[in-house]
Amino acid sequence: MEKMKIGGLKQSLELCQFDLGGVHSTKEMTSKVSKLLLSKKINMEFLTQSTHRNKHHQLTFCISQDKFSAISEILKKKGFLPIGWEINSRGHVGIITIFPHQSAIKILGAVMVSWAAQSIPIYGITTSLSAISFVTNYQEIDKAIEVIQDLFQLPEDHAPLKPEIRYYQSDTVKGD
Amino acid sequence: METIAVYWESRIKTYGFQRISDLALIEFSYALSDIKPLGKFFSKDDLKTLRPKFILSHVTNHEISFVFCLPLKENKGLRTSLEKILPPTSYRYIHPVSIIFFHGPHFGDRYGIADATFSTLSKAGIQILASGCSSASVFLVLAQHDIDKAEEALAETFEVAK
Repeated sequence: MEKMKIGGLKQSLELCQFDLGGVHSTKEMTSKVSKLLLSKKINMEFLTQSTHRNKHHQLTFCISQDKFSAISEILKKKGFLPIGWEINSRGHVGIITIFPHQSAIKILGAVMVSWAAQSIPIYGITTSLSAISFVTNYQEIDKAIEVIQDLFQLPEDHAPLKPEIRYYQSDTVKGD
Repeated sequence: METIAVYWESRIKTYGFQRISDLALIEFSYALSDIKPLGKFFSKDDLKTLRPKFILSHVTNHEISFVFCLPLKENKGLRTSLEKILPPTSYRYIHPVSIIFFHGPHFGDRYGIADATFSTLSKAGIQILASGCSSASVFLVLAQHDIDKAEEALAETFEVAK
Protein backbone atom coordinates (compact mmCIF):
# COMPACT_ATOMS: atom_id res chain seq x y z
CA MET A 1 0.00 0.00 0.00
CA GLU A 2 1.24 3.48 -0.87
CA LYS A 3 2.43 5.44 2.14
CA MET A 4 0.73 8.71 2.98
CA LYS A 5 3.06 11.65 2.32
CA ILE A 6 3.93 14.04 5.12
CA GLY A 7 5.85 17.30 4.96
CA GLY A 8 8.17 16.62 7.87
CA LEU A 9 8.82 15.13 11.26
CA LYS A 10 10.74 16.36 14.29
CA GLN A 11 11.36 15.32 17.86
CA SER A 12 12.00 17.29 21.00
CA LEU A 13 14.71 17.02 23.61
CA GLU A 14 13.93 15.21 26.87
CA LEU A 15 11.08 16.83 28.78
CA CYS A 16 8.86 16.24 31.78
CA GLN A 17 5.09 16.57 31.98
CA PHE A 18 2.64 17.88 34.56
CA ASP A 19 -1.13 17.23 34.45
CA LEU A 20 -3.23 19.39 36.74
CA GLY A 21 -6.96 18.93 37.06
CA GLY A 22 -9.86 20.03 39.21
CA VAL A 23 -13.13 21.86 39.28
CA HIS A 24 -13.14 25.29 37.75
CA SER A 25 -11.45 27.83 39.94
CA THR A 26 -11.56 31.59 39.84
CA LYS A 27 -7.89 31.47 40.70
CA GLU A 28 -7.14 30.88 37.01
CA MET A 29 -4.69 28.04 37.29
CA THR A 30 -3.24 28.41 33.80
CA SER A 31 -2.32 31.98 34.56
CA LYS A 32 -0.89 31.02 37.97
CA VAL A 33 1.26 28.21 36.54
CA SER A 34 2.53 30.31 33.64
CA LYS A 35 3.44 33.06 36.11
CA LEU A 36 5.39 30.52 38.19
CA LEU A 37 7.32 29.34 35.14
CA LEU A 38 8.01 32.93 34.10
CA SER A 39 9.44 33.67 37.55
CA LYS A 40 11.77 30.66 37.15
CA LYS A 41 12.62 31.63 33.53
CA ILE A 42 11.38 28.30 32.23
CA ASN A 43 10.10 27.85 28.68
CA MET A 44 6.95 25.75 28.22
CA GLU A 45 7.48 23.42 25.25
CA PHE A 46 3.90 22.17 25.19
CA LEU A 47 0.66 23.26 26.79
CA THR A 48 -2.94 22.15 26.50
CA GLN A 49 -5.79 23.47 28.55
CA SER A 50 -9.52 22.93 28.44
CA THR A 51 -12.60 23.13 30.59
CA HIS A 52 -14.62 19.97 30.34
CA ARG A 53 -18.07 18.95 31.37
CA ASN A 54 -19.04 19.72 34.98
CA LYS A 55 -16.57 22.64 34.87
CA HIS A 56 -13.65 20.24 35.29
CA HIS A 57 -10.50 22.06 34.30
CA GLN A 58 -7.50 20.24 32.81
CA LEU A 59 -4.06 21.70 32.25
CA THR A 60 -1.09 19.80 30.83
CA PHE A 61 2.34 21.25 30.21
CA CYS A 62 5.83 20.02 29.36
CA ILE A 63 9.11 21.65 30.32
CA SER A 64 12.75 20.62 30.18
CA GLN A 65 13.51 17.43 32.15
CA ASP A 66 16.19 19.21 34.22
CA LYS A 67 13.49 21.41 35.82
CA PHE A 68 11.37 18.44 36.93
CA SER A 69 12.31 18.32 40.64
CA ALA A 70 12.22 22.07 41.22
CA ILE A 71 8.78 22.60 39.65
CA SER A 72 7.36 19.39 41.08
CA GLU A 73 8.29 20.55 44.57
CA ILE A 74 6.57 23.93 44.14
CA LEU A 75 3.39 22.53 42.57
CA LYS A 76 3.03 19.96 45.32
CA LYS A 77 3.50 22.50 48.12
CA LYS A 78 0.42 22.87 50.28
CA GLY A 79 -1.70 25.77 49.10
CA PHE A 80 -0.35 26.09 45.55
CA LEU A 81 -3.23 24.20 44.00
CA PRO A 82 -6.84 25.01 44.91
CA ILE A 83 -8.62 22.48 47.14
CA GLY A 84 -9.82 19.49 45.15
CA TRP A 85 -7.20 19.85 42.43
CA GLU A 86 -4.93 16.93 41.64
CA ILE A 87 -1.50 16.78 40.09
CA ASN A 88 0.09 13.96 38.14
CA SER A 89 3.62 14.32 36.95
CA ARG A 90 5.93 12.19 34.86
CA GLY A 91 9.53 12.61 33.88
CA HIS A 92 11.24 11.52 30.67
CA VAL A 93 8.72 12.41 27.99
CA GLY A 94 9.30 13.74 24.48
CA ILE A 95 7.27 15.39 21.74
CA ILE A 96 7.03 14.11 18.19
CA THR A 97 5.67 16.64 15.71
CA ILE A 98 4.33 15.62 12.31
CA PHE A 99 3.77 18.16 9.54
CA PRO A 100 0.96 16.72 7.45
CA HIS A 101 0.08 17.41 3.81
CA GLN A 102 -3.32 15.78 4.00
CA SER A 103 -6.06 15.03 6.47
CA ALA A 104 -4.85 15.64 10.02
CA ILE A 105 -7.57 13.30 11.37
CA LYS A 106 -6.35 10.42 9.24
CA ILE A 107 -2.76 10.93 10.40
CA LEU A 108 -3.93 11.18 14.00
CA GLY A 109 -5.85 7.91 13.64
CA ALA A 110 -2.98 6.09 11.95
CA VAL A 111 -0.55 7.10 14.72
CA MET A 112 -3.02 6.10 17.46
CA VAL A 113 -3.56 2.64 15.95
CA SER A 114 0.12 1.95 15.21
CA TRP A 115 1.45 3.18 18.55
CA ALA A 116 -1.24 1.25 20.45
CA ALA A 117 -0.19 -1.91 18.59
CA GLN A 118 3.40 -1.36 19.79
CA SER A 119 2.30 -0.30 23.32
CA ILE A 120 3.74 3.18 22.77
CA PRO A 121 1.77 5.57 25.00
CA ILE A 122 0.23 8.92 24.07
CA TYR A 123 0.24 11.42 26.93
CA GLY A 124 -1.13 14.44 25.07
CA ILE A 125 -1.88 15.84 21.61
CA THR A 126 -2.28 19.30 20.15
CA THR A 127 -2.38 20.74 16.65
CA SER A 128 -1.44 24.01 15.02
CA LEU A 129 -2.07 25.24 11.50
CA SER A 130 0.54 22.93 10.01
CA ALA A 131 1.48 20.36 12.64
CA ILE A 132 0.28 17.65 15.02
CA SER A 133 2.31 17.15 18.20
CA PHE A 134 2.20 13.97 20.29
CA VAL A 135 3.69 13.63 23.77
CA THR A 136 5.07 10.17 24.46
CA ASN A 137 7.56 8.30 26.62
CA TYR A 138 11.09 9.57 25.87
CA GLN A 139 12.59 6.12 26.35
CA GLU A 140 10.41 4.86 23.49
CA ILE A 141 10.80 7.87 21.22
CA ASP A 142 13.13 6.12 18.75
CA LYS A 143 10.66 3.25 18.39
CA ALA A 144 7.80 5.76 18.01
CA ILE A 145 9.73 7.56 15.23
CA GLU A 146 10.43 4.25 13.47
CA VAL A 147 6.72 3.42 13.48
CA ILE A 148 5.93 6.81 11.95
CA GLN A 149 8.63 6.41 9.31
CA ASP A 150 7.07 3.04 8.38
CA LEU A 151 3.63 4.62 8.10
CA PHE A 152 4.38 7.81 6.21
CA GLN A 153 6.61 8.97 3.39
CA LEU A 154 8.95 11.79 4.31
CA PRO A 155 10.43 14.21 1.77
CA GLU A 156 13.83 13.08 0.44
CA ASP A 157 15.59 16.23 1.61
CA HIS A 158 14.15 15.96 5.07
CA ALA A 159 15.87 17.93 7.84
CA PRO A 160 17.36 16.03 10.81
CA LEU A 161 14.73 14.73 13.23
CA LYS A 162 16.65 15.54 16.37
CA PRO A 163 17.45 19.14 17.28
CA GLU A 164 21.09 19.95 16.56
CA ILE A 165 21.17 23.29 18.31
CA ARG A 166 19.72 24.12 21.68
CA TYR A 167 18.68 27.74 22.20
CA TYR A 168 18.56 29.46 25.53
CA GLN A 169 17.32 32.87 26.40
CA SER A 170 20.15 34.34 28.41
CA ASP A 171 19.68 36.60 31.43
CA THR A 172 22.69 38.64 30.34
CA VAL A 173 22.27 41.35 27.74
CA LYS A 174 25.61 42.55 26.42
CA GLY A 175 26.02 46.01 24.94
CA ASP A 176 28.01 46.75 21.77
CA MET B 1 26.66 21.69 20.30
CA GLU B 2 25.13 24.43 22.40
CA THR B 3 24.23 27.91 21.23
CA ILE B 4 23.12 30.69 23.53
CA ALA B 5 20.94 33.27 21.84
CA VAL B 6 20.87 36.60 23.60
CA TYR B 7 18.13 39.07 22.84
CA TRP B 8 15.85 41.46 24.63
CA GLU B 9 12.32 42.43 23.72
CA SER B 10 10.58 45.11 25.76
CA ARG B 11 7.35 43.74 24.26
CA ILE B 12 7.14 40.20 22.93
CA LYS B 13 6.99 40.30 19.15
CA THR B 14 4.42 38.39 17.13
CA TYR B 15 3.80 38.17 13.39
CA GLY B 16 0.17 39.11 14.00
CA PHE B 17 -3.10 37.59 15.09
CA GLN B 18 -5.21 35.38 12.88
CA ARG B 19 -8.77 34.25 13.47
CA ILE B 20 -11.04 31.46 12.38
CA SER B 21 -14.71 32.00 13.17
CA ASP B 22 -18.02 30.12 12.95
CA LEU B 23 -16.71 26.94 14.48
CA ALA B 24 -18.16 24.34 16.81
CA LEU B 25 -16.18 22.97 19.75
CA ILE B 26 -16.86 19.27 20.18
CA GLU B 27 -15.54 17.48 23.23
CA PHE B 28 -15.78 13.71 23.66
CA SER B 29 -14.17 11.10 25.86
CA TYR B 30 -13.41 7.38 25.73
CA ALA B 31 -11.96 4.76 28.01
CA LEU B 32 -8.20 4.58 27.41
CA SER B 33 -8.67 0.96 26.35
CA ASP B 34 -10.65 2.27 23.32
CA ILE B 35 -7.65 4.12 21.88
CA LYS B 36 -7.09 1.59 19.07
CA PRO B 37 -10.72 1.41 17.83
CA LEU B 38 -10.88 5.20 18.12
CA GLY B 39 -7.73 5.49 16.01
CA LYS B 40 -9.30 3.17 13.43
CA PHE B 41 -12.40 5.37 13.41
CA PHE B 42 -10.28 8.50 12.78
CA SER B 43 -8.46 6.70 9.95
CA LYS B 44 -11.69 6.01 8.06
CA ASP B 45 -12.06 7.54 4.63
CA ASP B 46 -15.53 8.86 5.58
CA LEU B 47 -13.87 11.43 7.85
CA LYS B 48 -11.26 12.66 5.38
CA THR B 49 -13.52 15.50 4.29
CA LEU B 50 -13.49 16.91 7.82
CA ARG B 51 -11.08 19.79 8.26
CA PRO B 52 -10.63 20.39 11.98
CA LYS B 53 -9.03 23.76 12.65
CA PHE B 54 -7.74 22.65 16.02
CA ILE B 55 -7.48 19.38 17.96
CA LEU B 56 -6.26 18.70 21.47
CA SER B 57 -6.29 15.63 23.62
CA HIS B 58 -5.85 15.09 27.34
CA VAL B 59 -5.00 11.66 28.66
CA THR B 60 -5.54 10.42 32.22
CA ASN B 61 -4.86 6.95 33.65
CA HIS B 62 -8.22 5.67 32.49
CA GLU B 63 -9.57 8.09 29.88
CA ILE B 64 -8.67 9.91 26.68
CA SER B 65 -10.63 13.05 25.85
CA PHE B 66 -10.58 15.11 22.66
CA VAL B 67 -11.51 18.64 21.75
CA PHE B 68 -12.15 19.22 18.04
CA CYS B 69 -12.92 22.62 16.52
CA LEU B 70 -14.76 22.12 13.26
CA PRO B 71 -16.61 24.41 10.86
CA LEU B 72 -20.28 24.44 11.95
CA LYS B 73 -21.46 22.53 8.89
CA GLU B 74 -19.00 19.65 9.52
CA ASN B 75 -19.81 19.04 13.16
CA LYS B 76 -23.02 17.07 12.61
CA GLY B 77 -21.23 14.47 10.48
CA LEU B 78 -18.69 13.76 13.19
CA ARG B 79 -21.31 13.48 15.91
CA THR B 80 -23.49 11.10 13.87
CA SER B 81 -20.51 8.89 12.97
CA LEU B 82 -19.24 8.79 16.56
CA GLU B 83 -22.62 7.81 17.98
CA LYS B 84 -23.17 5.17 15.32
CA ILE B 85 -19.76 3.52 15.36
CA LEU B 86 -18.14 4.14 18.74
CA PRO B 87 -20.38 5.97 21.23
CA PRO B 88 -18.29 8.15 23.56
CA THR B 89 -18.60 8.07 27.34
CA SER B 90 -19.29 11.80 27.28
CA TYR B 91 -20.00 14.39 24.63
CA ARG B 92 -20.28 18.17 24.69
CA TYR B 93 -20.91 20.69 21.96
CA ILE B 94 -20.42 24.48 22.12
CA HIS B 95 -21.10 26.91 19.28
CA PRO B 96 -20.32 29.35 17.87
CA VAL B 97 -16.69 29.55 18.89
CA SER B 98 -13.69 31.23 17.30
CA ILE B 99 -9.99 30.55 17.31
CA ILE B 100 -7.37 33.25 17.61
CA PHE B 101 -3.84 32.08 16.91
CA PHE B 102 -0.43 33.67 16.62
CA HIS B 103 3.27 32.95 16.51
CA GLY B 104 6.40 35.03 16.76
CA PRO B 105 10.13 35.14 16.03
CA HIS B 106 11.20 33.89 19.46
CA PHE B 107 8.24 31.66 20.32
CA GLY B 108 9.59 28.24 21.11
CA ASP B 109 12.88 29.36 22.60
CA ARG B 110 11.94 31.92 25.21
CA TYR B 111 9.98 31.93 28.43
CA GLY B 112 7.07 34.22 29.25
CA ILE B 113 4.82 33.79 26.17
CA ALA B 114 2.21 31.74 28.05
CA ASP B 115 2.17 34.14 30.97
CA ALA B 116 1.76 37.16 28.68
CA THR B 117 -1.13 35.40 26.90
CA PHE B 118 -3.06 33.96 29.83
CA SER B 119 -2.55 36.90 32.19
CA THR B 120 -3.74 39.32 29.52
CA LEU B 121 -6.92 37.38 28.83
CA SER B 122 -7.55 36.77 32.52
CA LYS B 123 -7.26 40.50 33.26
CA ALA B 124 -9.63 41.24 30.39
CA GLY B 125 -12.15 38.81 31.92
CA ILE B 126 -12.12 36.49 28.91
CA GLN B 127 -12.72 32.80 29.46
CA ILE B 128 -10.58 30.46 27.38
CA LEU B 129 -12.54 27.37 26.36
CA ALA B 130 -9.46 25.49 25.22
CA SER B 131 -5.91 26.24 24.21
CA GLY B 132 -2.90 24.50 22.76
CA CYS B 133 0.67 25.72 22.49
CA SER B 134 3.44 23.72 20.90
CA SER B 135 6.79 24.84 19.56
CA ALA B 136 6.14 28.25 18.05
CA SER B 137 2.39 28.80 18.05
CA VAL B 138 -0.41 29.68 20.44
CA PHE B 139 -4.00 28.59 19.69
CA LEU B 140 -6.87 29.91 21.81
CA VAL B 141 -10.50 28.82 21.51
CA LEU B 142 -12.96 31.43 22.75
CA ALA B 143 -16.67 32.11 22.67
CA GLN B 144 -17.23 33.94 19.37
CA HIS B 145 -18.51 37.10 21.09
CA ASP B 146 -15.17 37.43 22.97
CA ILE B 147 -12.90 37.41 19.94
CA ASP B 148 -12.71 41.19 19.28
CA LYS B 149 -12.04 41.96 22.92
CA ALA B 150 -9.38 39.22 23.06
CA GLU B 151 -7.52 40.51 20.01
CA GLU B 152 -7.64 44.04 21.36
CA ALA B 153 -6.19 42.95 24.72
CA LEU B 154 -3.50 40.74 23.15
CA ALA B 155 -2.48 43.53 20.75
CA GLU B 156 -1.80 45.74 23.78
CA THR B 157 0.52 43.11 25.27
CA PHE B 158 2.33 41.82 22.17
CA GLU B 159 4.07 43.89 19.53
CA VAL B 160 2.85 43.07 16.05
CA ALA B 161 5.82 43.01 13.65
CA LYS B 162 5.34 45.43 10.76
